[in-house]
Amino acid sequence: MSEINELVEQIKQSTDYQKNKRILREKITTDLHVPYNNGLFLVTIELLSFLSTWPIDELFLEDTYNNPIKIKRQEFLTLCQEHYQMVMNDWHIKHEELKRKRKV
Amino acid sequence: MKNSNAKEKSRGALLFAFNTDTVDYELIANRASQLIEYHLDIPVTVITKSQSTQDNIRVGYKAGSQWFNKDRYSAYELSPYDETLLLDSDYLVFDKKLLKVLDTVEDYALTIHNQSPNGSQDGTMGLFSIEWVWATAVAFKKTKKSKMLFDLVGRIQRNYDYYIKLYNLRETNYRNDYAFAIADNIINGYTSSNGIPWSMITIENEINDIEISNDMLTVREHEQAHVIPKQSIHVMDKDYLLSDRFGKLVEQVCQ
Repeated sequence: MSEINELVEQIKQSTDYQKNKRILREKITTDLHVPYNNGLFLVTIELLSFLSTWPIDELFLEDTYNNPIKIKRQEFLTLCQEHYQMVMNDWHIKHEELKRKRKV
Repeated sequence: MKNSNAKEKSRGALLFAFNTDTVDYELIANRASQLIEYHLDIPVTVITKSQSTQDNIRVGYKAGSQWFNKDRYSAYELSPYDETLLLDSDYLVFDKKLLKVLDTVEDYALTIHNQSPNGSQDGTMGLFSIEWVWATAVAFKKTKKSKMLFDLVGRIQRNYDYYIKLYNLRETNYRNDYAFAIADNIINGYTSSNGIPWSMITIENEINDIEISNDMLTVREHEQAHVIPKQSIHVMDKDYLLSDRFGKLVEQVCQ
């Protein structure tokens, strides 16, 4: 009987890496959103590439809510780069922690 | 430059908490309020007196139990704030992300994506219906369009039998999720608006305990556990939200 109880306890403590990983990714996507000039943007590698290469310093970009938002390119690029770096570092740290966890 | 004549916009959260025979929603709302005030640093208004006299019965979670959910449409009138986060009392705020929505949304934003550890909860409200939205977390500003949304939700509620058929709804009991989805669809010219751009995380199973350490939440269910980053979660298990274990968690977080 105690063996069965032990097994039940072990099952209760098990955690699924794939499920945890998926929820972590959702959280990172959430965190990658950055507000700027009353607009809300998802920082992606496409956005970073676009901002890095666009030759004009002031432009309008469509935000998450389909509004054209006035952008100061360099200022916004710096904000996005810093934000992206911070969130991706956080993702890496948390992902490493999750990889080690099979039981809680 | 700041215009000194401009009125500062007020901002806060609004919760509805109507006790039933089995669930003390006021206690849950008070605990949720502590989390909101701690993480978002905004005032919270809890509505405890229902204007509706009609009961509703749950389907799905705790099927058959009493459910007072018919006042949500009056949130626009009842909110004392210019900018409001309308939240279910079982939505537990553990981060600041909803402030980003309030900062940037023009009129309102509904929750349009929902994930649980077991997978996406996104789908349609019936086989041949429109996409489901969740009225669990709604951000709105007091604008003409937001007023139209809430007025329309009230109208849909009053004529629900008609809208069940018109929108081919799967379930026939009144759900705010459905009414908000339909109202949003109508207001936006029979398309849906861009809602909150990320997923709400829902824990749908019964919970033994939740622990917080190192910026991670460990959610222990009866048969498994989830380790998820600290973030706001929607907890379906009212028994857990009423338990001393949850009360202690709130105290620990809000110290």
